[in-house]
Amino acid sequence: MSRKLTVVFLAMLVLVGAMSLKTVVVTHGDGSVVMANGGAPQPPIPWKNGGAPQPPIPWKNGGAPQPPIPWK
Amino acid sequence: MLGPYEYVIWLICTLLEASVLVCAIRKGAFRRYFLLNFYMATSVVASIARYKFLHDFGFNSREYIYFYYYSDALLTVLLYFALSSLYSHVFSELKADRYLRMGTIFLLSGTALFSYAVVQQSSAKLVTHFVVELSQNLYFVGLVLTYVLWAAILKMRETRTQLIQLVLSLGVYFSLFAANYAVQNLHRTSGSFLEALTPLFGCFLPLSWAYTFWHVPEEARTVPSRLAVVPR
Repeated sequence: MSRKLTVVFLAMLVLVGAMSLKTVVVTHGDGSVVMANGGAPQPPIPWKNGGAPQPPIPWKNGGAPQPPIPWK
Repeated sequence: MLGPYEYVIWLICTLLEASVLVCAIRKGAFRRYFLLNFYMATSVVASIARYKFLHDFGFNSREYIYFYYYSDALLTVLLYFALSSLYSHVFSELKADRYLRMGTIFLLSGTALFSYAVVQQSSAKLVTHFVVELSQNLYFVGLVLTYVLWAAILKMRETRTQLIQLVLSLGVYFSLFAANYAVQNLHRTSGSFLEALTPLFGCFLPLSWAYTFWHVPEEARTVPSRLAVVPR
């Protein structure tokens, strides 16, 4: 029984270590992913923009230059 | 848009993956390291299929994007099992197969549950989110497991050169991708150069495994534990 618990504990430890390492590596990431299988060119992430160019954010000001904040 | 560089690297990488299988079969290591070779064989098939999708539908097509990420998740799971088979080789004398299998399945399930917990709030494309997240997390689990295995090799004074080289190659391979990704995010100005290196790193694992199978005989022995001794 104790051996089984040791295996479970070690597996949890590895999982925690791996996720901590992932956090460190992707801290300053831009949402892209690490792909490490084969040499095929990596396409954009499916939910990022599906290949189409990303439109401007609707509430940003529609392209007009942003004025200074009135109360500054 | 893909240029000749990407295609050439991709072709070289696929040929190297096929050469791993050839070297393993010629040197009689195919069955001994079956899961490693199965991973390489699947990777060759995936490369050919990816090329087919790319050729038929284009780089930014949904077909290529989905096939790429789903096949990548499958390959990562296979690489994870290949890594667990290396654990079986290292711990073969301890007769711990049952516990290794249990640990492998438990860790895979834990990673899948964690990945689901991360993506469950995504309302759209939940399965795709899950597949990519699982692939990412398994990649980092594999990275940690490889270093744990290396520590076990040092501790247990494993002497089989072929096995040691296979594990070390995997460690370097995982580390190259993680380091490249981290540096890319830190220094975005040199991003394009570092991005160009990524597919090149993909050639490292098949190259080193093919070299190991071809040049290192099964009976070759080395003493890695001496590397860890600090002279006083």
